[in-house]
Amino acid sequence: MLELAGVTVEIAGVSVLRAVSLHVPAGGRVALIGRNGAGKTTTLRTLMGLLPCRAGRVLIGGEDETHLPAHHRPRHGIGYAPEDRRLFGSFTVRENLLLPVQVLGLPAAEQARRLDAVFTLLPELAELAPRRAAGLSGGQGKMVALGRALMVGTRAVLLDEPFQGLAPALALRYAEALSRLHHALPEVAILITESNPELLRPLVERTFVIERGEIAPAG
Amino acid sequence: MAEWLGQNTLLLGLALLDGLAYAALVFMVAVGLNLVFGVLRIINIAHGSLFAIGGYAAASLGLFLAAHGLPGWIQYVALVLAAALVGGILGPVIERLVLRRIYGHEQVLQLLVTFALFMILEDVQKLVWGVQPVTNDAPLRLLGTVDVPFGEDVIPFTAYQLFVLPGVALATLGGLAWFLRRTLTGRIIVAVTTDREAATAMGIDARRVFLLTFTFGAGLAALGGALASPTTTLVPGIGASTIVLSFAVVATAGLGQIEGAAISSLLIGIGRSAAVYLAPEFEVVVPYLIMVAVLLVRPQGLFGVVETRRV
Ligand SMILES: Nc1ncnc2c1ncn2[C@@H]1O[C@H](COP(=O)(O)OP(=O)(O)O)[C@@H](O)[C@H]1O
Ligand SMILES: [Mg+2]
Repeated sequence: MLELAGVTVEIAGVSVLRAVSLHVPAGGRVALIGRNGAGKTTTLRTLMGLLPCRAGRVLIGGEDETHLPAHHRPRHGIGYAPEDRRLFGSFTVRENLLLPVQVLGLPAAEQARRLDAVFTLLPELAELAPRRAAGLSGGQGKMVALGRALMVGTRAVLLDEPFQGLAPALALRYAEALSRLHHALPEVAILITESNPELLRPLVERTFVIERGEIAPAG
Repeated sequence: MAEWLGQNTLLLGLALLDGLAYAALVFMVAVGLNLVFGVLRIINIAHGSLFAIGGYAAASLGLFLAAHGLPGWIQYVALVLAAALVGGILGPVIERLVLRRIYGHEQVLQLLVTFALFMILEDVQKLVWGVQPVTNDAPLRLLGTVDVPFGEDVIPFTAYQLFVLPGVALATLGGLAWFLRRTLTGRIIVAVTTDREAATAMGIDARRVFLLTFTFGAGLAALGGALASPTTTLVPGIGASTIVLSFAVVATAGLGQIEGAAISSLLIGIGRSAAVYLAPEFEVVVPYLIMVAVLLVRPQGLFGVVETRRV
């Protein structure tokens, strides 16, 4: 479903990713593990088209989409929950959730259907819906970011360190939500980044480890 | 103090009315500047040129229509039409040909480029309209004056400055607030202002938003100039003084706040015209004294929030 093939990415003249290859099969659950500064966020941003590739290719559904503009990726069914949530603080939770499908121009009925599906999967979002995103706690914000990614992520969602900074009880809730997601929508591929290699083991089928911008397949 | 007030109520009243009308014009320019900066992250020094060209275009169009014996109300259509033409033509041309090349570059370069643009537009304006003063006060005269009671005095003030200017500014404020909060296009603009990368990842084409926002901001500046044209004599340099004043407004308000821009326009507009009437030697510095006083106490501006991490 999603693939990086020998991708090199430079930021400010420094190569941050070096010949990285990674494959997320359709409906697969994949973890990308690495220490702080290893290149996890850069990998996801590259998949989203937010950074240009110096070398290599980005494939979506088997097609070479290396040069597909970033803002077209949601149209290909890819949702993204960036590190630190990055919600739009002045919008309500509902407005945050709806923005990507409104931008896509989906019919109102389809927008409502997707919102319902997200509320079914993450019931706490239904309660939070009228609240301003700026007033949410960190944990609530992560749930909203996951929901927002799912609104367009019909084929894949990229989750950047969703567990970072979550209290154990919240982390458990988040992990349960991911399991529900996998059972309710088995066709949606999930790529999660994390620094702790143990945490994601029960949730994923495959793990990639990234170190100083290089990935060696493992597990 | 009471005695001084007694002697100067008339002046005070005039300063207040004048300040209100002036604040309305400054607001039109400052709010566009603010919007453009929020989305494009470029401080557009040439924003004042759009004000000037909007003014000249409106005056010329008004004079042309009057010379052809068209009815008076056409004058007001001419103001809006001139602004729409200036914003609708110059906006996209500037964004596509100039700004598009400097997004994401160092701020020094951006400032130099928009300053160069300002110089070019100033010359274009001199080329088209010359250096002789241009006036068309027909829109001002047609509405006549209103006697405003002020204490024991009555101040005759033009209805245009009393009602039209503040009215348009209020409508702009309300319309913009509604547009940004309640329409999808408005929310898209807010999303790009808040976090461009996150907005892009949600499917928003930031480049299109840049073009739209810049054109809209250019139109607001041109409308400010068009509305100002009946109240003043247009001369070279009017763009420069406008941009400097609206920078003071934006800095005082803090970035990204349209209601804040309205309040600080009032503060600076009334402060400036109070100086004009009561202490003319301070006219030029009063807006900056207000700005400096505010920034000393609140460096982020009256309504600005302290910027946290922005990637
Ligand atoms: N905007 C940037 N400017 C300069 N260096 C960056 C930038 N973003 C990331 N880097 C560098 O790239 C490397 C990988 O960063 P990142 O992908 O954020 O790592 P991770 O998400 O694994 O913590 C780090 O060494 C970081 O310093
Ligand atoms: Mg990271």
